[in-house]
Amino acid sequence: MNTDKVFPIFAAAFAVIYVLAVQYNWALFTYHPKTGEWGWLGEPARNGPPMYWYGWLVTSTFGATAASLLSWPVVRRWPAQLWLGWLVPLVVMLIFVYLFRGFFVR
Amino acid sequence: MATFLVILHGLLAVVLLGGITHQAASVAWPSRSGTGVIRSFRAVSGSLYTNANIALFIATATLGSIIYPLYRVSVRTYLENARLNSAVGSFELKEQFIAVGLGMLPFYWLLWRRPPEAGATFARIAVTLMLAFIVWYGFLVGHVLNNIRGLFGL
Repeated sequence: MNTDKVFPIFAAAFAVIYVLAVQYNWALFTYHPKTGEWGWLGEPARNGPPMYWYGWLVTSTFGATAASLLSWPVVRRWPAQLWLGWLVPLVVMLIFVYLFRGFFVR
Repeated sequence: MATFLVILHGLLAVVLLGGITHQAASVAWPSRSGTGVIRSFRAVSGSLYTNANIALFIATATLGSIIYPLYRVSVRTYLENARLNSAVGSFELKEQFIAVGLGMLPFYWLLWRRPPEAGATFARIAVTLMLAFIVWYGFLVGHVLNNIRGLFGL
């Protein structure tokens, strides 16, 4: 497998899956910091606020790895699409600014 | 223990700031001459910083993830009760930017692994500047939130 072709796909897929995971709460697991408990998938609060960030990271890592492997038969015939590796994460960062605008404009 | 970890997290971030800023300056604003402080700062060999920056980014993010529950339970609750929405939002953005940065690290390593081809030069500059922005943003937000009561007289 050629990393020149796969790593830009991974960076782009990770960013896209991550923003979807945050928006739709596709956390693979939830941590409840007040009680120190862990639970599968995105659980509601038990006693104190739940934390999904770790779960989102793992979801994105697995998802981006799968996307990179699955895209290999297609992208191996193309030249490396390096722009995907920075433009997609940049757009995702801007989407996050938009999604969280409520914190700043209220 | 938590105070020690927060200070260690901050110290690692300072080292990472130095490394990524040096590299970003060397790639986006290169200088062939090493005379003078500014030119010397820009004239470094950027590729030498790559592995250290990756290790520091992962170490700083890992340490941040260890102390994150403390923030979530105590600090964020305080900020929400004090209606400091901008502070809460700034940290939310930091959290997401760091995650996006983590996903870019393999690509960043790839771009600095070998001399850039014509098509890879712009990607190298873009990725390095984005990571530099993420690190600077994360550092400043973390620093301000850590000292928010003193800074704003709360």
